[in-house]
Parts: sequence; C-alpha cells; structure tokens
Amino acid sequence: MNLERLPNEEKLTLCRKYYLGGFAFLPFLWLVNVVWFFKEAFVKPTYTEQLQIKTYVKRSGLGLLLWVAVLTTWITIFQHFRAEWGEVGDYLSFTIPLGIP
Amino acid sequence: MKSHAMCSNMVRCLGDGNTSLQKLATSIVFFFCLSDVSCNSVEQKIYVELNNTVPCVRLLNATHQIGCQSSISGDTGVIHVLESEADLEWPLSKGPNPPYMVLLESSLFTRSIMMKMKNESNRVAGVAVVVPNTSPPEFSPHTTCPNENTGVYSDNYGPNLAHCNTTVWNPRGNGLSYEEFDFPVFSLKEDNETEFIKQCYLDHNRAVNGSAPQYPLCAMQLFSHMHAVTNTPTCMRRNDINFSINPEMVCDPLGDYNVWGSIRPYNDTVFGHKENESVVIAAARLDSRAFFWEVSTGAEGSVSGFVTLLAAAQALREVTHEAPPTRNILFAFFQGETFDYIGSSRMVYDMENGKFVIDLDNIHSVLEIGQVAVHSGTNLFLHSDPVSRRNNTVNDEVREELFSSFFVFLLVEPNVSQPLPPSSLQRFLRAQPIPGIVLADHESAFNNRYYESFYDNAANLNLTYPSDLSPEEQLEFVTDTAKSLTDVATVVARALYKQAGGNESLVNNIKADPKIVTQMLYGFLVSSNNSWFQACHKHTGRYGVLGYLGLHCFVFFCLLEPSPPEYYYLLANLTGAATNLTQSQCQKPDELPNESRQMYSYLWVQGIVPPNSTERDSFCVRASVRLTKAVSPAFELGEYASKDYSTWTESRWKFIKARIFLVASRDLEMLTLGVGVAVLFTSLLVTYFISTKADVLFSSTREPASAAY
Repeated sequence: MNLERLPNEEKLTLCRKYYLGGFAFLPFLWLVNVVWFFKEAFVKPTYTEQLQIKTYVKRSGLGLLLWVAVLTTWITIFQHFRAEWGEVGDYLSFTIPLGIP
Repeated sequence: MKSHAMCSNMVRCLGDGNTSLQKLATSIVFFFCLSDVSCNSVEQKIYVELNNTVPCVRLLNATHQIGCQSSISGDTGVIHVLESEADLEWPLSKGPNPPYMVLLESSLFTRSIMMKMKNESNRVAGVAVVVPNTSPPEFSPHTTCPNENTGVYSDNYGPNLAHCNTTVWNPRGNGLSYEEFDFPVFSLKEDNETEFIKQCYLDHNRAVNGSAPQYPLCAMQLFSHMHAVTNTPTCMRRNDINFSINPEMVCDPLGDYNVWGSIRPYNDTVFGHKENESVVIAAARLDSRAFFWEVSTGAEGSVSGFVTLLAAAQALREVTHEAPPTRNILFAFFQGETFDYIGSSRMVYDMENGKFVIDLDNIHSVLEIGQVAVHSGTNLFLHSDPVSRRNNTVNDEVREELFSSFFVFLLVEPNVSQPLPPSSLQRFLRAQPIPGIVLADHESAFNNRYYESFYDNAANLNLTYPSDLSPEEQLEFVTDTAKSLTDVATVVARALYKQAGGNESLVNNIKADPKIVTQMLYGFLVSSNNSWFQACHKHTGRYGVLGYLGLHCFVFFCLLEPSPPEYYYLLANLTGAATNLTQSQCQKPDELPNESRQMYSYLWVQGIVPPNSTERDSFCVRASVRLTKAVSPAFELGEYASKDYSTWTESRWKFIKARIFLVASRDLEMLTLGVGVAVLFTSLLVTYFISTKADVLFSSTREPASAAY
C-alpha cells in the first residue's frame, strides 16, 4: 500500500488502528507501525495530522522496546534453565530436544 | 535406492509445467531413471561404510544414565591406532589435529585408558574397539558387586553382608558397563574392514619422524545418537507428554517374559493362595549382558544354569508321571536378572498381590541353579542365606536332601557367614524368609573370568568339537562340557524329586540325558539355526537373539506380539506330552472334552523330517508351561524413581552406522568457503553494475527491435 496516495486523515486512522491493535498482545503491529510511518512522522514536512502520527509512532516504539526486552529476557532464562527445571521445563516446552538434557 | 531419490527430486524440481521445454526435460529424466543406470554416485567414492560394527547404547535407571552417546550428526575424528597406554598422550594432548577417533586393541580396552579418555572428551571424538577371536586372560565390564542395591542384604537385613563387605563376587569387574561416556564407542571385528581401517591410518595418519602428519587425514564418523537422557523418570515423563506436535517415544523399559512350567498343571485363571498346596521352586536365570549392545551369550553366566535346569526338568518327566511326588515342582526361568532382578522381582510382586497361580506361602523351598560350569572332579557349592538360616529348620532338611544326592561331585558348603551370591532367591527372601539353596561352582568369588562380557562364549565353557564334523554331527556330539552339565542336572533332578517328597526308591533311576544337554549347548552357544531347534519350534523363522533382553520396541516400530523364545518351546517339548490333535484342534483345544487351555498350553511344533520324506512330522504338544510378563513392578506402579525395584530402561535411537573417509584441513575448508562466498558477491556486484549501465553497454546503434515477450 502506498502511503503517498492516501489523504492525511486516512493515514492518521491507519496509524491509530495499528497502534490500538498492538495492545492485543500483537507487538508486530507496533513494529509495522514504527517502520511504515517513520518517514511520515519525522522526515516529511509538517502537516496537520503529523503531530498525532508522531505520538502514535513514538508510543508504538516504546511498546515495541518493552516487548523486545521482556521476550528476550524470558527466552534467555528459559533456554538456559529449562534443563534444570525438570518437570516444569518439560511441561512448558512445545518440542523437547532429543538426547540432550 | 539413491538413484530413485535423486530421480524423484529431479522430477519434483522440474515441476508440473506445461511448456515444451519442461516437458522435454521431464521426459529425459524419466528415460534416464527408467533405464536403470547404475549411478556412479559421488558419495560412494568418498565414504566407506563399515558394516560389522556393534555400538554401545545408553541405558537409564532411576538416578543415572550409563552407556555412550554421539551427537545428532555423528562424531568425526581423525583415526589414531593406540599402541600402548603411554601413546594416549598423542590424542589427549600432543596431537595437532583433534578430535581423534581412537582405535583400541582389546588388550588396551581397560578402565584406566577409558577413564582418561572420558576426562579429556573434548579431544576424543569416539572409540573403536577391535574384538579378537581369542579371548584375553580375563575381562569383565560388570561391577564388582552385581545388583548390590536390589538384593536382600541391606542396612536392615544382614548389614555386615551388604555391599559385598564380606565377599566380593566379581573381583575382576572393572565397571565399564556402568560408566557414562559422551562419545560413541563401537566394536569392530577383526576382519577385512578393520585391516582396511588400519591401512588407511598407516597411509595417511602416521607422524613421520616426529613431524605432524599432513592433510588429508583418514577419519572415522560414528553415528549412535540416543534419544533418552538424564534418568528414567525424565524419559518416561517425556514419553507421556502428549500435547507436543510430534510425540516421540524416547525410551523403553527393559523387560521380556519369564517362562515357568510345573509337574502338575495349574489353572491359569485362578490366582492367589492355594490351600494345602506346597511347591518346590527350581529357578534359573536366562539373560546376560555385555558392554556392547546385544552381543552377549553368557555361556558360563546363564546358559550353564538354565540348560542344566531344562535337562533336569526333562529327567523328571517320566518318574513324576509314574510316581507323582507329594509337592509340586515349579521350574521358573527368570529374564532380566542382570538388571536388578527384573524377572524375579516381578514374579515375587505378582505372588504378593495375588496375580500368580500360587502365593508366597505356598512355597516350600527354592533351589536355584547359578553358574555351574564345573569340570568333573571339581566341587559344587551350596550357598544359603546365613540370616534366615538362623531361624529356620526347613533349610537344614533341604540341604540334607541335596547332600544325600551325592553323585560325582563333592557338594560343599561354603563358610557359614558368607552371604548369598547375586541370585533370584534374594528377591524371594526380601519378601519372606523362604529356605533356599543356590547351587554354584564357586565357593566365594566367581570363577567366571568373563562375567557379563562378550567373551563369555562357547570357548569359555571349553566347548570344542572335533574339526571334521558337519554341523549336524556337531549337534549330536556329546562334549565333555555336556557330560559334566548332565551330571549336575542329574544331581539337581534327584534333589528336586526328594525335596518334593517323591518315592525314595525311584530316585536312583533319575538320569539326565547327555544328548539333550549337548544339543541345547550347541543351539544356544554355537548356532541356533539347527535341526533340533527347528523341530521344536512352531515355524522355521527367525530365532531371537539370546542373552540380551528381548526389547521389542526400538527404532520406529514395536513388534506387536513377540514371538515366544526358544526356552519356552524347549521347556514345553521337554516336559510336555505329544498329543494326537490336529493343527486346528491345537489352536482351539477347548472344544475337545478332555483338553483345557486353562490348564495347559498347546503348541504346534514343526517336528523332525522323517528319513524318507520331505514333509515335517508336525504335532501338537500339550505342556503345563506358561509365559508371564517380566517387566519391573516399578513400571506397573508408575514409580519410576523406585529404590526397591529395577528401573532400567533403554534409550531409543534412529539409526546407527559408521563410516570412514578422508578429511581435509580446516584451513582448506574455510578457504573453499571463502572463495565461494567471494565469487557469489562478485557475481552479484557484476550483475548489479551491468543492469544499471545496461543502456550504455548494450548501446542503441542497433534498430530498436520490435521484441515481443
């Protein structure tokens, strides 16, 4: 979808939809929001809706960073300690590697 | 098979396009594939597959894992033929091309060398042991105190006798079978393949005058990736997890079937205590193990015992039909005794819980045949339990009976304070103080120099045949070993008859048949594909591997119904009676008035080929012989961390193979990769430049052609 051809109000509604959608445990929507609307929010010359778009992009960026931090921490802990957790580790796992603890 | 895979891949790659070019290409591929061209595959030029290898596999119990493991894509190492223990420093520290694959002669397969390699296992990729045809002077990879935690002696029962404090039963044991190695250990036979490997080593890997050998070097790759890990509770839990996308079984409990038979039949549907029934149990063990997977024969360790008991059972058949003794005699053959008494603990558990035809209170006494590979003139020893003997007078009677069955051997009692050797009787004593004797050829430590090892074979029993005999003649030839085992069987049969309260005057008529003993020894130790086994069996099919527990589930499939083993058919043939039933009647005997499947087993056996015909003389045998499950009670109860019962399981694996090839140096590999990546990027760059400057390069001096796509 080419943002060039959209009027500014529609750009704002699109950005808002993605921002609100990301709250449903969908951090990828925030990632898309940041990447897609970055030029619109910070590079393009000012227009009326740009301030709103800028806030949405910034908040999406924050949310994204939070998710990345949480997921990275959890994944590191799980990968490191799964073997030691024994039963709990096995019940949390989707596929258990064969032949290693 | 390789070319088919290649062909199908190529066809798939070509897709199902409709253009003429694709059709042409597809037809070429089909023609190529159908015309059965023997593809000169590159793989065959690189790798030499080793076919006669035996791996060491992983076993787990409640707390530990033992055995060997390789990585999932095999372990590769530069071959090094070890010349002496001092030479170990080459693979472990000095050698410049780690990791190494160490090739050992069997004389170097010792605990100290294996432990040193275990400690430096980042430089050792694996070990290959060359097993010769002649045995070394002694070798036992088992522990010095077999089954020390699941016997009867513990801190509550004879604490000074527990853990081999008074007698070390297997002093030659080096415990290698119970160590954990994280590299694969394979065994090779001494044949052309091994010569080829050594030649490859001499050609490429030898250090010349102290300088490092040059690449390419000869390397070996071993695949034996085991799925189970940590211990039995973990692997059984992973077996049971059923919400993962691909539920995979990772291990199986060790276990098979016990075989039991009795003089007077029991109704197979009536379990529990039987009033006024007193039974003498004669027991022997069936199984043995080795360091490597499935190669054990256990000639002295188990075959001598159960062959003696089978011969004794046959010797008692006639006299018990003429003059039945007061007590019943139950012949029990236990499977899985090596791994913490799987079979006997299961039978005792069934008796305690009313799932067996008799109860522990019905047992009068137990006579167990241990390792009895005597040579005539030497002694047999009667072992009994000192702790229960103090309170029990029945035990004295049992010993008196045996003493008075004096035949050729001098029956001697060992020191009164010596505990019982590792035997199934210990599991009976754990449940209840039952008088029992274990018959063995050793007074204290085992005489067997190869206890639970792959060298415990026919040669260990001195089973030799004159060289000019055909296999049929060898089957019938009565060896000296067979004669001495026959004498032991006669002693056992007489003692059992007297113990069961039989008619004293008929005792001296009981004699075991040496022909049967020698045929059994030949069948179990030399070749199981012989005419006598075929005659006793129900079909001339595959004969199961003896010794190691019949694991029916490994690799991808479980045999739904295991074929009953040789000893089941043998016991039926030796103690049962031939009947006139036809084959269909044999399968449904309940329709006949006098026959009942609850009391007897009916087996259709092949029979022998009479001299003047080609058809086998098959017939139906009726015998009071049964199979009972021999899986440890820990798995029935779900107590995978049990301390009382055996918890041994064996891991599963996908495939096991070995191959050798030449490897190049790491630098050459990196260089090749680097050049390849450089070529890739260069070509990308060139393509990019050409495409951006296309209008300049392919200049417009030409007429713009009306090209249509």
